[in-house]
Amino acid sequence: MSLVVDIIISGVISGSIYALLAIGFSLIFGVARIVNIAHTAFYMVAAYCIYAITNYLGWPVVPAMFIAVIFSVILGMVTYKLLLNPIREHEGAVLIATIAIAMIFEQIMSLIFTGTFLSVPKLVEGFFAVLGVKIFYQQLLTLCAALAIMLVLLLFLFKTKFGLAIRSTAQDREVANLMGINESYVAMITMGISVGLAAVTGAIVVPLTILEPHMWNPPLIMMMAVVVLGGLGSLKGSFVGAFILGFAEAFVVFVFPMGAFFKGSVALSIMILVLIIRPEGLFGVYFEEER
Amino acid sequence: MKLFKKLIFVPVLVVALTVSIWANAFADEIKIGVIGPMKFVQGISHWNGAVMAADEINARGGVKVGNKMMKIRLIKADSNEFLSITDATNAMERLITRDKVHFVVGGFRTEAVMAMQDIAMHRRVIFIGCGAAHDELCNRVAKYYDQYKYFFRGTPFSSTNLVRAAFIHVGTVAEVVRKELAIQGPLKVAFVAEKAQWADPMVPAVQATLPKMGMELVGVWRPSPVATDVTAELSAIQRSGAHIIFTVFSSSVGIPFARQAGELKIPAIQVGINVESTKDDFWQATRGHANYVVASATYARDVEMNEYTKPFVEGYLKRFGEMPTYTAGTYESIKMSLVDTIEMIGTLDPDKIVETLENRVYKTPPSTIMYVKDSLGRHTHDIRFGPGYATGLAVQWQDGKLVGVWPNGWKPAPGVEVTYKGMKPIKLPPWMIQAYKKK
Amino acid sequence: MKLILFYLRKLFAVVKNEVIVLPSRVAVIFFFLFILLLPFFTDDIYILRIFTLASIFAIFAASWDLLSGFTGQMNFGHALFFGVGAYSAALLNLHLQIPPWGSIPLGALVGVAAGLIIGIPSLRLKKTYLALTTLAFPIILLGLVFTFPGFTGGELGISGIDKLAPTRVQEYYIIAVLMLGLCTIMWAITDSNTGIIFHAIREDEIAVRASGVNTTRYKLMAFCLSGFFAGIAGGLYAHFMRIAGPSTLEVSLSFQVVIWAIFGGAATIYGPIAAVFFLYPLVEFMHVLKDYRILMFAFIVLLVLLFMPDGLFRWLRDRVEEECPRCKVRNIATRKICRVCTAQLH
Repeated sequence: MSLVVDIIISGVISGSIYALLAIGFSLIFGVARIVNIAHTAFYMVAAYCIYAITNYLGWPVVPAMFIAVIFSVILGMVTYKLLLNPIREHEGAVLIATIAIAMIFEQIMSLIFTGTFLSVPKLVEGFFAVLGVKIFYQQLLTLCAALAIMLVLLLFLFKTKFGLAIRSTAQDREVANLMGINESYVAMITMGISVGLAAVTGAIVVPLTILEPHMWNPPLIMMMAVVVLGGLGSLKGSFVGAFILGFAEAFVVFVFPMGAFFKGSVALSIMILVLIIRPEGLFGVYFEEER
Repeated sequence: MKLFKKLIFVPVLVVALTVSIWANAFADEIKIGVIGPMKFVQGISHWNGAVMAADEINARGGVKVGNKMMKIRLIKADSNEFLSITDATNAMERLITRDKVHFVVGGFRTEAVMAMQDIAMHRRVIFIGCGAAHDELCNRVAKYYDQYKYFFRGTPFSSTNLVRAAFIHVGTVAEVVRKELAIQGPLKVAFVAEKAQWADPMVPAVQATLPKMGMELVGVWRPSPVATDVTAELSAIQRSGAHIIFTVFSSSVGIPFARQAGELKIPAIQVGINVESTKDDFWQATRGHANYVVASATYARDVEMNEYTKPFVEGYLKRFGEMPTYTAGTYESIKMSLVDTIEMIGTLDPDKIVETLENRVYKTPPSTIMYVKDSLGRHTHDIRFGPGYATGLAVQWQDGKLVGVWPNGWKPAPGVEVTYKGMKPIKLPPWMIQAYKKK
Repeated sequence: MKLILFYLRKLFAVVKNEVIVLPSRVAVIFFFLFILLLPFFTDDIYILRIFTLASIFAIFAASWDLLSGFTGQMNFGHALFFGVGAYSAALLNLHLQIPPWGSIPLGALVGVAAGLIIGIPSLRLKKTYLALTTLAFPIILLGLVFTFPGFTGGELGISGIDKLAPTRVQEYYIIAVLMLGLCTIMWAITDSNTGIIFHAIREDEIAVRASGVNTTRYKLMAFCLSGFFAGIAGGLYAHFMRIAGPSTLEVSLSFQVVIWAIFGGAATIYGPIAAVFFLYPLVEFMHVLKDYRILMFAFIVLLVLLFMPDGLFRWLRDRVEEECPRCKVRNIATRKICRVCTAQLH
């Protein structure tokens, strides 16, 4: 019985982490058709910022988080404006550019902080027990944050004027441009929001994990699996896909303790299976005119 | 733009060639290549240990080769082996063919060291491995002696012996647990090993050996070597009622495991192999939750194995600000293994050095080295494990300090007892004592 | 005797009228000469190693271009073919004692099978979905490799494989000549009718289908051909390094080949090859800069992408050559009129 509880709780927690990452990734893809391989790299930059501020300046965690998020957002928007906007038409080039950006971030972090494994203090220390399973408060925080952000984002997208601009650009870029929306500006702001989400994820999740220059690799693969499974460009899809794969992972870890290493492969296989049946993902919209 | 690129390629090439030509100009030096993942702690250790050795030797005038004094020149090579095996092989080949080194020390990741070993052996250059424990490296020496005899193991001792030592440590901790908590019946042990090939043979070994030691194996967990969240495994371990968690970690997973076990106050004591835990910054990396973790190590503050230990450890501490880890074994590989042998026979000839070195028994900061032969009488150039030779240490984190706890009254055979200077008794986590007193 | 003179004169005429006329073709000739004559200029084993590895990666990159550049099926898991080729050749060599000239082609055939395995699910997927799905395949295979360490050697990989040839120079020649040959074949494929169909599939698949061409067959063919050539590259790598390990399936290798190909210019075949020969030795020789190597590499890539998003070598070619508006034949840019149809070039 407690095995099932373990799986559910673990799945919910992993799911919320992936949801936070996937929503940001999906957003920038939907609006600017950019597959931002560097998305988790921004998450890493934010995490290192928090480390640097709490360790070298000795400030408490909360202001460090704010500064890290703001810094990452500015970095993201600047990166977009200087490096991605000029080559937006060439999708292949954009892809490679984001890979190169991620590599640069990794190298810079490696140079400044070396390859040693570092850690960051939790926002909320301590743990509690539910049905015999111990959960960190921080993990609960992650789940609440995922839900809260989802809610805020939905409100923003559906209730505000700028949200409307984002949605219309996502649906049809050329027509949005014709309607007078400065779609380059919209894309830049969306990039900022997307990176901001990655940074917030970093701030919340990083105390549960280890800081090192390659930390952006494993979440990247899982996040892309989630986004593809849920359907590119669909926020609802990312959210649902995140929890599906989160549960799949938890299932593998608990039912096959020897094969904990295999959980990534299982998640990816699920993604491929779903894609074979439904090539646009669960909630993705199939654009006939997509060329 | 393209002109710039063309222009930068040429000067870079010229610089590279010039540097290597200049490097060869000083023929009356002994060139020793230090190869390792230089951006990581292991490679940095490789380099530090080598630098200390080279400086000490050069300070006393150099190496006496016959009737000539030759200074040592170290050449650093970043193998980048964690990220790219081709980089490692390229770096090794560069060291040998370009920089024309006489000897190579270092190496860490087994997959890379095997490939690097091939290259060095092909060129008949003595290579002392200071980081990879895999048995195969020395098995090759026995199997293909003529080609592979130029390889010696520097540190750590082989995987087989690392495992043997770990079992001894588990037994020692088990005794403490049994005594302090007054437990009747077999002690429950949870085995957690990172999912890596070198740890695979340990699973059947543990399943076979623990019952013989009077302990019960309650579960086997294999997290990924780079896992960052092991709360799932820890929940399951707690449920299994284990008294002892036998850890086998060499990668980063050792950090979150110790941290989360401490944060969740799992009522069990961790003992085994946890390479990350032997580093000074482990305490910070686990945010102070690594208290009472016991692990195998090579050095500990205030612990002396022989008369060379203290000068080395203190010298290293003073110069680099942190305790040496086992990859700093480049120090004794250069100073004691290579230089002493060279001075003994008065030549740099690799074949003669091999012949002499493989029969020597000599002291180094962590141990006394004797090279063993396998069951068929063939040289393996592997280090002998046992009292009076290489034993390693077990260390425990006690309130922010890493102290030595084994061998402390270790009785491996009747009439033999081993205790190194500076040992402290093993402590159990108070929350564990509380949990069991309540029962 | 007269026959030889005749053919010599013919060769001379062809060279004068077809080859020297265009700087890109001259560059190709120089490249061939450079590769073939390199061992005469240097017997430094280290430099030969660099260029041998560059040749292997050139075959690999060109095979990616054949698939993704031409048919537009963005393959982000190209390392799968490389790894499959490497492991197959290694296993065949180690367990069945098949010598390299047998194990490598057989390994490549396994690569073809892998091409089918990825190709079939990919038929229905579009662009980004395809890219991310293909990314998943080598990761899954990597998981399998680690789960069955007894068979695959786990993290240590398979070692103790035969050398390709006794000396470094011989190895170099085998691999370099193979590279020149295979890349020429790939180029010939893209220049043929099949190549045109590949290109058309990328531009507008529905139109191609409407023209009555069985795009499924051609897409699968592209996957298989790509798998074959990449498998050969993998097999060569295994025999050269004498070890086939999980590093042949890494995500970074997949990314690396995409970077090379797009940097050099996708859908050209010569682009990726030139990019590999430019970037790989550059990054190696930059080892004097030690820690900043990868950083410099990424910067160079970014800068080139910003200014020449279609690829460096395609940009170079467009600078020095011009296409005639009437007869579509390429001319050197300094000409005012086309060399074939004498139409105005600008």
